[in-house]
Amino acid sequence: MFWKKKNIGTIYSPCVGQVLNLSEVPDAVFSEKMLGDGACIVPESDEIFSPVDGEIVQVFDTKHAYSIRSSDGLEILVHIGLNTVELKGEGFTSLVSQGDKVKIGDKIAKVNLEYVQDMGYQLYTPILITNMSEVKKINVTEKKVNVNDILFTYNK
Amino acid sequence: MKEFSYIIKDKVGIHARPAGLLVKEASKYNSDITIMTKGKSADAKKLFAVMSLSAKTDDEVRISIFGEDEIVAEQGLRRFFEKNL
Repeated sequence: MFWKKKNIGTIYSPCVGQVLNLSEVPDAVFSEKMLGDGACIVPESDEIFSPVDGEIVQVFDTKHAYSIRSSDGLEILVHIGLNTVELKGEGFTSLVSQGDKVKIGDKIAKVNLEYVQDMGYQLYTPILITNMSEVKKINVTEKKVNVNDILFTYNK
Repeated sequence: MKEFSYIIKDKVGIHARPAGLLVKEASKYNSDITIMTKGKSADAKKLFAVMSLSAKTDDEVRISIFGEDEIVAEQGLRRFFEKNL
């Protein structure tokens, strides 16, 4: 039997929440996959965990977005909330720095979900593979997940 | 080779959204496109690289374009920066 096992990978959920296809995100930059392909989660827990094993490439000054290079070379963007760059870091606490090595399930950020919503921002959190040429297909199942459950899988 | 400079006016700089739009615009052209600021440079067709520049309001960025379609690329990118950043 010939198994092409290495060609399938998994991105794990960074929080408790509802998984959605990117097409459901009410923001064209994500729904039209301009930044990358993946899935979206609507967080129900205020702690955000790494969805992959890898290295933190960038913590945005505004602490709402995290770039992570996975150990298998994928460039993953975790973008917490829509337009939350405008909050200028308020409501977000970063627990990692550029260059940190992270494992699936390591805590990377805390978000005050209530504050972000009270300020009028939506919590849709896209988790994207930004170097899309590395992957052929993304498989998303829309359902409620816990931290470290499968968020989506991809075929290389 | 074509080059131009631009001072970022966007109030939050080149964050995820404009970086994505910039990569999309740059990827329309065959030329090699490099964006430089504060001693760092990035391939304008690579999102991670562009975001890592952390270009902010009032930062000067320099764009250099090299390749067969550099003339149209320069026009397109100048328009892009004026409109979006």
